[in-house]
Amino acid sequence: MGDLLRVEGLVKYFSTDQGLIASRLSKKVHAVDGISFTVRSGETLGLVGESGCGKSTTGRCLIRLLEPTAGTIDFDGIDVRALKGRALQEFRRDVQFIFQDPYASLNPRMTIGEIVTEPLAVHRLGTPQERRARAKELLDVVGLNPEHINRYPHEFSGGQRQRIGIARSLALKPRLVICDEPVSALDVSIQAQVINLLDDLQDQFGLTYVFIAHDLSVVRHISDRVAVMYLGKIVEVGGWQGLYDEPHHPYTQSLLSAVPVPDPAKQRTRERIILQGDVPSPIDPPNGCRFHTRCPIAQDICHHQEPELRQVAPDHEAACHFAKPFPIELAAVAPGTEAADAV
Amino acid sequence: MTREDKKLHDVQSGMEGPRDAGGHPTKDERVVGPILPGAGEVAARPARTLWGDAFTRLRKNKLAIIGLVWVTIVIALALSADLWVPRFFAEPTFTGFGSLEAPSAQHPFGTDRIGRDVFSRVVYGSRPSLSVGVLAVSISLALGLILGALSGYYGGVLDAFIMRTADVFFAFPYMLFTIALLAVLGPGLQNVFIAIGILGWPSIARVFRSSILSVKENEYVDAARAMGASDLRIMFRHIMPNAIAPIIVYGTMSIGGAIITEAALSYLGMGVQAPTPSWGSMLSEAKALMIPAPWLTIWPGFAILTTVLAFVLMGDGMRDALDVKMKD
Amino acid sequence: MALLEVSDLKTQFTTRDGVVRAVDGVSFALEEGHTLAIVGESGSGKSVTALSIMRLIPDPPGKIAAGKVVLRGESVLDMSDADVRAMRGDRIAMIFQDPMTSLNPVFRVGFQIGEALRIHKGMSRKEADARAVEMLDLVGIPNAPHRAKDYPHQFSGGMRQRAMIAMALACDPDILIADEPTTALDVTIQAQILELMIELQQRKGTAIIMITHDLGVVADMADDVMVMYAGKQVEYGSADAVFYSPQHPYTWGLLDSLPRHDIDEKGTLLPIEGQPPSLIDVPPGCAFHPRCPYAQAVCRETCPELREIEPGHMAACHFAGTDSLVRGRVATAEGEVR
Repeated sequence: MGDLLRVEGLVKYFSTDQGLIASRLSKKVHAVDGISFTVRSGETLGLVGESGCGKSTTGRCLIRLLEPTAGTIDFDGIDVRALKGRALQEFRRDVQFIFQDPYASLNPRMTIGEIVTEPLAVHRLGTPQERRARAKELLDVVGLNPEHINRYPHEFSGGQRQRIGIARSLALKPRLVICDEPVSALDVSIQAQVINLLDDLQDQFGLTYVFIAHDLSVVRHISDRVAVMYLGKIVEVGGWQGLYDEPHHPYTQSLLSAVPVPDPAKQRTRERIILQGDVPSPIDPPNGCRFHTRCPIAQDICHHQEPELRQVAPDHEAACHFAKPFPIELAAVAPGTEAADAV
Repeated sequence: MTREDKKLHDVQSGMEGPRDAGGHPTKDERVVGPILPGAGEVAARPARTLWGDAFTRLRKNKLAIIGLVWVTIVIALALSADLWVPRFFAEPTFTGFGSLEAPSAQHPFGTDRIGRDVFSRVVYGSRPSLSVGVLAVSISLALGLILGALSGYYGGVLDAFIMRTADVFFAFPYMLFTIALLAVLGPGLQNVFIAIGILGWPSIARVFRSSILSVKENEYVDAARAMGASDLRIMFRHIMPNAIAPIIVYGTMSIGGAIITEAALSYLGMGVQAPTPSWGSMLSEAKALMIPAPWLTIWPGFAILTTVLAFVLMGDGMRDALDVKMKD
Repeated sequence: MALLEVSDLKTQFTTRDGVVRAVDGVSFALEEGHTLAIVGESGSGKSVTALSIMRLIPDPPGKIAAGKVVLRGESVLDMSDADVRAMRGDRIAMIFQDPMTSLNPVFRVGFQIGEALRIHKGMSRKEADARAVEMLDLVGIPNAPHRAKDYPHQFSGGMRQRAMIAMALACDPDILIADEPTTALDVTIQAQILELMIELQQRKGTAIIMITHDLGVVADMADDVMVMYAGKQVEYGSADAVFYSPQHPYTWGLLDSLPRHDIDEKGTLLPIEGQPPSLIDVPPGCAFHPRCPYAQAVCRETCPELREIEPGHMAACHFAGTDSLVRGRVATAEGEVR
């Protein structure tokens, strides 16, 4: 399968103050600071990291909800950053976005039929009758009752609203869907419903996903490949299996060890890496490796030389001078030992 | 719902869950397993618009309804005055009745210094008050909505320019500014509402701008942008309908404010010119006779007080009614 | 005797739409130095349970309609208002989910930590300040004497939650109620906070009631687990019992719908279908029956009592512990996973 989306050196800075004066001298928030990745057609790329790592900003840059500061975004041979007018419209038919907040992402003054078919109206596709029929079809596809077409969003629960948002994103038969934390506002049991729905839709319509989330377990479940972000950089990227079984970057390892697992016995014996301190401010990110201020294995070189992403295994890259499987001592979580007592 | 739809619905209604009083589905449509659907099937709720919902909520608010009724009465009196209130009682030329008569069956509100019926004058006086209220606020709204929308939606330099201009307006004492403006334009009803209207836009623009800014943060606006919707569509379909509620509330309340300003200006002699009665000018004429003939001040004062209060109550009620999150 | 005993607690809210039975018959016992986790989804009544124990239910519209809350032999629900105020913060302390709003932005952090000490222990301003610095140091805030003079906005989210813990533990309470204390935090910060809570518990012997929706956090912290659904207690027992031999279909559903990163294969997620019920209109019989794949006629009619399935392990399901249910579960799991 070919690459559908290729991102090269994407940078997005935000100015810290707005207004008439002083924008040139003001400090910049380095939200995304030179990241590159590719998404293959039909796969799901998971983008995972803690708050402020730039994962959502990346997602918004991909569909030009935010204008990138630098870098190239290539979608199926189209230079996305150069698109204007009609060409941009065309691009927006192919790429859709699913938002995090099931309450804020639906206009409360529109019926769900209007919401779901708004993309068609915007692109002047079909007659009102055809759109209505399509709305019913879409609601059916996402598991809602098509009869509810005339109801308003406030009549639905969080999980159902998220289904409405998903139906809207499918209206134009997109090729790429960017999902920005689509399940993090939902309760556990509802979360699983929505994840399964996204999985089914991918099979059914051959969608490609960029799946942005902070929950490592959810990302692992849905992704084919995963990129881990920290302070505006990708620190590790690779196939889900390699990345979760043999994480090479100390940050990925700490993240994975920090997530408590729903298994008391395992939780009692698990050795955890507790990172010290907080994530530094993206206004003034550390020199060298951005993780060195919290890294348990940082050396001198990490303070002044920034590590590049390099291949550490087939389809697996990490940006660490000392990248190797489990450089941090993790006796109890060595690969293989935990699979044995899996429920 | 068409017959076809109904049939379809009946087929699917087995999957329809009960709803709580807010109309929220209490179960997903897809209940699996060997479960009977009978737990609480409810007929599909008729489609109601949000404005319909708002009106339903407004009806439950007693104070707002009192305000609405009073405003309706005042408007009805103002419009129908020609039909049943003897207009000549309001004219200065007719002095066939005694002057400064206390309220009686013939003159329920008494008569004034030159024998005019106070009741007629209060009723006719509602016309300048209401028209100033409505027209001045319309001018403020027209200016304020456009400038506020530009300011809130586009931001940046345009926003800074509009908002600093508004600040300049706020920096002047309101009453002095109005009087100065009237001094330039000349007194008279038409100029009163122009003056009040022009001076009212900065508050409207500010309220609308902040409302737009908060609505703009919602992800559905991003969603519309991401699907390629034009600025106009985003503005009129997504932002306006959600940002307009505070303006309706504020606008309703400012009608009360405009009525007071008109009264004040007429009191000062800058507004409606004699012989046309207005509540403010009636108060002005009565000021020397407050003790010997209290009815001259009480009735126009009562009219101003109740009408302004009614508009404020209505505005308050609308604020609650238009809040989408408050469910019936 | 247990430190805290709650029996048949019922808390209701009267709304325009009807009576909301937010907590409907909850019973548990908390031993000294133990951790009880209350698990449930939003609206399950777990937070209201905690607020009821603290007598923090706003009345009206809320009301503790029935039940007993006994703290060291003393009935909390019968206490005078003054006694309740003396209890709050001193014997039972609470920390909340949002570290950004639970500190008052206009007071210095040290001053806020000392407040409980001034109220309950009658300490002078100076003594309280000194103790506040000690507490900040204890919760791992570097340079505590200096940071005590900071305002909350100068603290990061993780540090604020540490400060909240310092504040809660300042009076050495018997019980710490933590309402989703790590939900607003990133995982690496969550790990720090959980570690801190475990360490402080070992050092001070505080009993903890942990309210959370995260089963990983439960597995990490809890000795005992109570699972709530629609205001009712559906399962209660030791953490091992609840995780390794769950008896209630809702608990199974929660465990099966959770994606996990610690298991080699990506299993299929088995979500609980449907939505949680509205608390105004709880389904008759077992509240979970509309979503339960094993529901029978009896489930729609009779509300199951909480009963002991094995020693110390209770569940409120008509079929808990019976063979038919276990077979049903195995069949479903095989059928779905294939």
